[in-house]
Amino acid sequence: MSHTPSTPRLSLLGLSMPVAMGYIPLGAVYGFLFVQAGGAPLLALASSLIVYAGAAQYMAIPMLAGGVSLGALALATLIVNLRHVFYGLSLLHRRPPGGLGRWYMVFGLTDETYSVLTTLPADTPPGRLVLLTLLNQGWWVLGTLLGALLGQRAQLSLVGLDFALIALFTVLTVEQWRSRSSSLPLWWGLGAYGLGYLLAPDQALVIGIGLCVLGGLHAARGKAPEEAR
Amino acid sequence: MDTSRTLLALAVMGLVTFGLRALPFVAAQWLARHRAVAVLGRFLPLAIMALLVLHSGVGAARGHTPWPELVGIALVAALQWWGRNALVSILTGTAVYVLLRNYEAFQGTF
Repeated sequence: MSHTPSTPRLSLLGLSMPVAMGYIPLGAVYGFLFVQAGGAPLLALASSLIVYAGAAQYMAIPMLAGGVSLGALALATLIVNLRHVFYGLSLLHRRPPGGLGRWYMVFGLTDETYSVLTTLPADTPPGRLVLLTLLNQGWWVLGTLLGALLGQRAQLSLVGLDFALIALFTVLTVEQWRSRSSSLPLWWGLGAYGLGYLLAPDQALVIGIGLCVLGGLHAARGKAPEEAR
Repeated sequence: MDTSRTLLALAVMGLVTFGLRALPFVAAQWLARHRAVAVLGRFLPLAIMALLVLHSGVGAARGHTPWPELVGIALVAALQWWGRNALVSILTGTAVYVLLRNYEAFQGTF
């Protein structure tokens, strides 16, 4: 097999294609909802350029429209994106790109980009990791732009389009569940929120997350010696 | 939405997100030394994501019986479990949810 110059670029697009199929439509729904909530299309674009985290971006639409405090927004982003802390851990032993490229790849480590990067062979040139990350964000930004422009023109009074966020959370739950050996965290999360809701419906989220952290720490204490062998 | 306020809010969200994604790269040795982190990493994402499904579902169901939310979530979960295509799961689930929520409005037009 000869190495023609076009081979790497082609397969890079091929790798990115499944992500494009998801990012363009979902980015479009995001841009659409953002503009329908009263935001300018350029702000929707700015969001996809500087935040670049689908679930958090969807979640923030009503918060931005309602003028919630920066602290509440930061906390909500922290909660929704907490899983990303654990993504980098499994990419650590890769040959990292240098300089700015490295930090751009870290910036662009979304669920989808992460899952594509983990399927690449360990000796993949660092430059390609960065290029793939850039390509993926390009699809998301493109979708956002299309949706925002559409949302500016269309007058749609359908209730429930924002279910897309709940659906996204559900998809992420199923994928997390699939990769777990135990389903205990799932039931713990549901139970923790249920208990929080019974105690104080308005504080259920905070109470629930507190209980999840306690549950995780308890699991860590139980498993740590066995993990350490 | 006020432009400068929204941009500031987006910058905060971007910083938090970047911080979370960068943490393992800047604190790799600290994280690797603590086995508890690995166990937390297997426990917390699933627990919190399930909690967020419940929380956002409860929020959406405010003011009506929760059937559309239950049907929608169950449908998305089933589609994702067997189909593994996130786009199909999300768009189908959202379409069915929108239909259910707007059922009465649609009835009026037909």
